[in-house]
Amino acid sequence: MLSKSIKYMQLAAAYVRLNLLAQLEYRGAFISQVVSMILNDVIWVIFWCLFFNRFPVLRGWTMSDFLTLWCLSASGFGLSAAVFGNSLQLPVLIARGQLDVWMLYPRALLPHLLLGRMSATAIGDILFGYVVYIAVVHPDLPHFLLFAALSLCVAMVFVGFNIATGSLSFYLGNAEGLAEQLRFALITFSTYPSTLFEGAIKVVLYTLIPAGFISYLPVESLRSLSWQDAALSLAGALAVLAVGVAMFYHGMSRYESGNLVEMRG
Amino acid sequence: MRSLEKYAWVGLVSARSQLAYASEVLSRIIFLLVILYIFLRVWHVAYAETGCTSLAGLTLSQMLWYLMVAESIMLSGPRVTPVVDEEVRTGALAVQLIRPVSYPLYRLSVALGDRLVRFLLSLTAGIVIVLVLVGPIPLSAGGLLCFALSLPLAFVLDFLGYFLIGLAAFWLEDTTGLMLIYSRITMVLGGMLIPLDLFPESIRPALKALPFANIVYGPARLFVHPDSETLVRLLFTQAAAVAGFSILLWAVFMLALRRVHANGG
Amino acid sequence: MNAVELDRLYKTFLLKKGNGFRRTQQEVVAVDSISLSVEQGQSVAFIGPNGAGKSTTIKMLTGILHPTGGCAQVLGLVPWAERGQLAGKIGVVFGQRSQLWYHLPPDDTFDLLARIYDLDKQMYAKRKAMLVDRFDLGQFIKTPVRKLSLGQRMRAEVAASLLHQPKVIFLDEPTIGLDVVARHELRDLLREWNREDGLTIFLTSHDAGDIESVSKRVIIINHGSVVFDDKVSTLRRRYLGAKVLSLKFHEPPKTFSMPGVTVVKANGYALKLEVDTNLVEIEQVIQHLLRSGPVADITIEDPPLEEVIAHIYGQRKLDSEEQSCQEGKRQDGSREANLATTSRLISNCASLSDSQAKEVRSP
Repeated sequence: MLSKSIKYMQLAAAYVRLNLLAQLEYRGAFISQVVSMILNDVIWVIFWCLFFNRFPVLRGWTMSDFLTLWCLSASGFGLSAAVFGNSLQLPVLIARGQLDVWMLYPRALLPHLLLGRMSATAIGDILFGYVVYIAVVHPDLPHFLLFAALSLCVAMVFVGFNIATGSLSFYLGNAEGLAEQLRFALITFSTYPSTLFEGAIKVVLYTLIPAGFISYLPVESLRSLSWQDAALSLAGALAVLAVGVAMFYHGMSRYESGNLVEMRG
Repeated sequence: MRSLEKYAWVGLVSARSQLAYASEVLSRIIFLLVILYIFLRVWHVAYAETGCTSLAGLTLSQMLWYLMVAESIMLSGPRVTPVVDEEVRTGALAVQLIRPVSYPLYRLSVALGDRLVRFLLSLTAGIVIVLVLVGPIPLSAGGLLCFALSLPLAFVLDFLGYFLIGLAAFWLEDTTGLMLIYSRITMVLGGMLIPLDLFPESIRPALKALPFANIVYGPARLFVHPDSETLVRLLFTQAAAVAGFSILLWAVFMLALRRVHANGG
Repeated sequence: MNAVELDRLYKTFLLKKGNGFRRTQQEVVAVDSISLSVEQGQSVAFIGPNGAGKSTTIKMLTGILHPTGGCAQVLGLVPWAERGQLAGKIGVVFGQRSQLWYHLPPDDTFDLLARIYDLDKQMYAKRKAMLVDRFDLGQFIKTPVRKLSLGQRMRAEVAASLLHQPKVIFLDEPTIGLDVVARHELRDLLREWNREDGLTIFLTSHDAGDIESVSKRVIIINHGSVVFDDKVSTLRRRYLGAKVLSLKFHEPPKTFSMPGVTVVKANGYALKLEVDTNLVEIEQVIQHLLRSGPVADITIEDPPLEEVIAHIYGQRKLDSEEQSCQEGKRQDGSREANLATTSRLISNCASLSDSQAKEVRSP
């Protein structure tokens, strides 16, 4: 078990290295995309900081809590899209029958498949998240370590959610547009302070669109160094991931039966 | 006159091909619902915490209608840059030049036709959502006409921006980064998140003079506060901006053409 | 143990038609109870027209699709049940889908594959050196794939799929888009690996040249079932009982007609005939021809393989089944005899044209 997970970590490292090398073949484009993503994040955060200075909307959260939220979701999203970049491509891969190629290797299908691609802009998100967190929030060592661990949890939420929404293509045909909209919905919800939301919508934020595991629990955990909230974040992330994986493999049985072929007319 | 017909026809065809994807466009409702709900929460808290019933001359309902219109304008943004970028890189631009149409005007017709459909679909969905969230606001036929008149030049202006960025592909390895920043700045400085009237007084006049305000803030404001005098002033600044951008585009295009002729694209 | 074994492998798809409420489902048979076996070390061409069920069969053999009925084993493993294990023992090359990283040198992909297949470091280094040598990759192993010629790319592609020492390799249209030279190089390499290393080759291609030079055995499927399974050399004779005779005369020949012989082309001194060997012995035709004028040159050819294949593809489903049964019965007896006469004839004709040529020169 342990040696197996080490093998997969090594495989992931090999893929990240190759993906990065491939990106660097077009150095100018790569750097431009990374820098623009950082700039994009910076513009957005500065804007909302100005807004929250003008209107006291945060309800008990400080500006540094809001920044923490942004750094966490940016670095978590960045990690998910940089290491498991194919999670964003899943609907297309499924609808076009491009999983075949991945089934020819002696590796577990889903993790191997997800490693196959890297989003360049995601590197910008990771850099933004970590640099701003260190430079602006000034965490001490325990906070920083917890932040790093939680960014991995957040990445798991994103990956799990992307797998789940991507797997809709197994059932609905090409659900690329729908999956994209749902992904946007999650990202949007997880970049606004969850103190804004109350009532029934909270239920949605811990189930259908699991932004609560990104924008609430991890930030609360960092606010008060609460291990309980950290544990809940991890549990939530694992649950989302489990749902995604289950949906994928359930859908795979339809794929393997070859009955995804559909003709219109 | 005949040539005008030709471009109108191109626009019409483009609009009709967009209609074929109506179902995909409709799935954007999910995102629209999410973002408008979040805006509602943000502003609801802002109005409540400041104790004002009117901010920047807008009630909460008007504010949400304003944001909905602004969001619809942004969401229907033309996909000009990637197309032009690709045509520059693959040399397809050189082929386009052989056709008996002006390349920029051809792209403009396509973009406008495409945008009109997507804007109307977004707007329709947005109206339904806002009606559910905050209910109706008083609107008049004259006011709507005012709003409609403010759109054409706004769309042309936005097109010019994206087209110019696409042409940058002649010199840059990547234009997606630039496009990302451009659209981000349009959102922030164009007043999509906050009406420009709420910005600090010192920078307000400068912001309103920028082209971004002519694209988003101007029309959206006219939707909730129709006023013929504002319209005339807006049309005037829009026309001036379009003229300025057109000259710039012409100069850049001529420079680019020299490169096409020099090395075959 | 056979490398590949299919036992009444059967696969249907549900085809959904229409949309909205008027949706109907229809079951379509893609693979109709195919049984066959391929010994280890054999080189087999697996061909059929588009939509015949060949890629469905290959997808089942590689574990991508599950069959509806029947069973199959590849190297003793049931592909769809033991896909992971099987994947380590087979190699797959798609002519149109690269496994090399487009922007990176082949070397980088090789390193990654070593990780994916979990190869021992030293073994990998040795194996790679050997492949680089035999596929002649040395010059471009460090060049990004996008800068390689298609021929170089395909060589690297096949080498990459042999890195983990597979026992069986599936090749799907490996020569598509290659120029003549690159095509020959690749075919030579495949033949060499088959002969010297005992690699079992399972090849699909639309190119008759690939089939002829790489494989000894050809399996043709059409409408989901096997319509031919024999040596490549048998293929021509069995399906077209025809020979093409080309003659050149010293003076314009008399008009020629004979039952079972059609004149394809006749101009001046030259004559091209198609002989239906089921109706008339080719020996008789030649004797008859020799009487009609002084022959300068004579050649006997099989019709081009491509035509034979096209002929088989063109047969309708029912026809093909009946015909292949009948032909099998009728021809099995006469085939050997037929073969013998043909080879004798060919040698006769060779000496014949030689002697005639002398005659021409001597006066």
